[in-house]
Amino acid sequence: MPVVSNVTCPVCGSFCDDIEITVKNDVIVKVKNACAMGEAKFLNYASHRQTKPLIRKNGELVEVSLKEAVQKAAEILASAKYPILYGWSNTSCEAIRVGLELAEEVGGVIDNTSTVCHGPSILSIQDIGISSCTLGQLRHRADLIFYWGSNPWSAHPRHIDRYTTFAEGRFQKSAWRGYLSRLTGILSKKRLHRAVNLGLGRQTPSPPETELRLPSTLLQNKRKMIVVDVRKTRSAEIADYFLQVKPNKDYELLQALRMLVRDEELDVDKVTGIPVETLEEIVEIMIGCELGILFFGLGLTMSQGKHRNIDAALSLVRDLNRRTKFLIMPMRGHFNVTGVNVVFTWQTGYPYAVDFSHGYPRYNPGETSVVDILCRGESDAALVVASDPVAHFPNVAAQKLVEKPLVVIDPQVTPTSIMADVVIPSAFVGIEVEGTAYRMDHVPLPLKKVVEPPTTCLSDKEVLQKILGEVRRLRRNHN
Amino acid sequence: MLITLRPKYSFKVPVEAECINPSLFAEKSTMEIAKLQVWEGNRKRTLSDLFKITRETPNPLEKVTIKIAGDVNKVRRIGSKMSTGEITVNGNAGMHLGEEMKGGIIKVTGNADSWTGSMMKDGTIEIMGDAGDYIGAPYRGSTQGMGGGIIIIHGNAGNEVGCYMKTGLIRIGGNVGQFVGVHMRNGTIQVKGNSEGRAGAQMLKGKIVISGCIPSILPSFTIDRITPTVKVDGEKVEGPFYRFIGDLAENGNGKLFVSKAKNPNLGVFEEYL
Repeated sequence: MPVVSNVTCPVCGSFCDDIEITVKNDVIVKVKNACAMGEAKFLNYASHRQTKPLIRKNGELVEVSLKEAVQKAAEILASAKYPILYGWSNTSCEAIRVGLELAEEVGGVIDNTSTVCHGPSILSIQDIGISSCTLGQLRHRADLIFYWGSNPWSAHPRHIDRYTTFAEGRFQKSAWRGYLSRLTGILSKKRLHRAVNLGLGRQTPSPPETELRLPSTLLQNKRKMIVVDVRKTRSAEIADYFLQVKPNKDYELLQALRMLVRDEELDVDKVTGIPVETLEEIVEIMIGCELGILFFGLGLTMSQGKHRNIDAALSLVRDLNRRTKFLIMPMRGHFNVTGVNVVFTWQTGYPYAVDFSHGYPRYNPGETSVVDILCRGESDAALVVASDPVAHFPNVAAQKLVEKPLVVIDPQVTPTSIMADVVIPSAFVGIEVEGTAYRMDHVPLPLKKVVEPPTTCLSDKEVLQKILGEVRRLRRNHN
Repeated sequence: MLITLRPKYSFKVPVEAECINPSLFAEKSTMEIAKLQVWEGNRKRTLSDLFKITRETPNPLEKVTIKIAGDVNKVRRIGSKMSTGEITVNGNAGMHLGEEMKGGIIKVTGNADSWTGSMMKDGTIEIMGDAGDYIGAPYRGSTQGMGGGIIIIHGNAGNEVGCYMKTGLIRIGGNVGQFVGVHMRNGTIQVKGNSEGRAGAQMLKGKIVISGCIPSILPSFTIDRITPTVKVDGEKVEGPFYRFIGDLAENGNGKLFVSKAKNPNLGVFEEYL
């Protein structure tokens, strides 16, 4: 059976590039090296898919030819006064480029999923700047790893293993042995706690989530991992230290850490419930590291304060660089969400929420971002590519989206495609068609084709090119 | 000269009408004003496509007053870059009202949207209702906030009022959201109601006066003293107020005044005096 090696995984922002796929009779039968999410996608991607284009007629979605679906989609977009074109993070850079051309042609607002994930990070990076690097550098050199508002064990399952704490770097050794002994300790403590409760026939409260005293392992000269989150996640369980922050109080904690890094005194004894002495010890560890990295996720970008939380995080790293070497990186979600920001920026100058209604790109998230436009009920048509906003947007935005004509290009059957007026199923990028995508550290990697797509499914890029051609034909005829 | 604009229908998609500007109208006849270009979504329109225009006192020597009779909450950039005259909106106004204005007066009887008075240099904006976020703030990525003038909001305002403010005065009659005066460089913000917190975050200089409640003070501020009154634009505001200095995480020397009577939760700071 043919084995395709070095396949990139089209699931999360870690974008692992060491997957081995075994193919039999043009069907994927075995996946090696992938995490549970990657393996599930490669093995089951074709289980729930639509292969024929659909148009809503008399309230029902009925199968039509691709030509008819493309024509209907083009008519909807060309006649709209303020259409939105949303999605893009789960397709290739080549398709995104055509999407931008289409947005300019129809005078619409093109936005990507950053608008509901790391958009605030981008706003702050534009304000403050960022000290960043590639994941390869961190694998070999980082000795202090922070995950703030991010749970890589569940959301980016191979991130810790490939790039940070458990990776065997050239200059930093893997910390998996420490994890095993810590896990054994935690389990023994839990068993002892249960045994005491059973023996005495009572229910004593569990030990606190956050130990206020820092463990001695944090003072050793080896790779260390600290997790900051509102709850004890799986990632927090494997960390050397878990710092529990109160919900929506990240900004206060970050500013307090900045004060301590700058040798300023705090008026208060506790910040968000954490004693200042504990914070002083953490700051000492931060300043004492050789190379630190702060990964942050949606716990920071989407809690109260949003881009101001990231302002504080970026400023903390800037302050730390006066004392040591420290870097920061957002934990991007979709496999090509970094790519969509890159392509948007090189084509228009702006990374997301780009408004072409005046014929040239304008950018002002809050005004030109799709969720805000929908909540204000301003758009009059929508194109969704490789995304499922009905399942993920706020209720009001989802309602307004489906009230107006909606075109969906997606290989999957989703709540958005079920509510659409035109559905054009496409091939799975990274499985059935090739392309390019960017890893979370801005490294571009190729998406491979491992099996053939159904004959009725074109790539996102080809479908978009057909719609763009039809829109241009309609415009010519109109003029 | 009074020019009245009446919306011909209820706008659904955003309308960009930075031509609604007394300085611009002063030089033009009614016919020329009617032909001024506006955007309705991605379609180019003339002002007369969207508004019924009447000129009631055709005396070119008088100050130009534009009266908008109707709700224009979808119409953006009204009074953008205006330097003289007056605009009255009898209803709600859209985003970027009075953006970069250099003089004159704008009055809104209803609510105003976000970025009201964005980057304004001079003049007065008065909103009788509520306002959105980013009052007086610059556009994304810029650090050049409000550089003069007065913004008065009688109702409530949203988040980040006076972001990157350089000088001028903002008065909020009601409550404000989070981050009032964030990244403030100088100027004065007065809030008569409550603040949702994080007041003065990352401010360098300037004065913020909050007469209502605030849930907490950022850890990067230090208490300086308790003062019986504070002056806002020459007027005495009765206290007493806690006076905090910050944001020390930015080496800032801004002054944050918070009502002592309304914030017993801040009594813990008194032991540091």
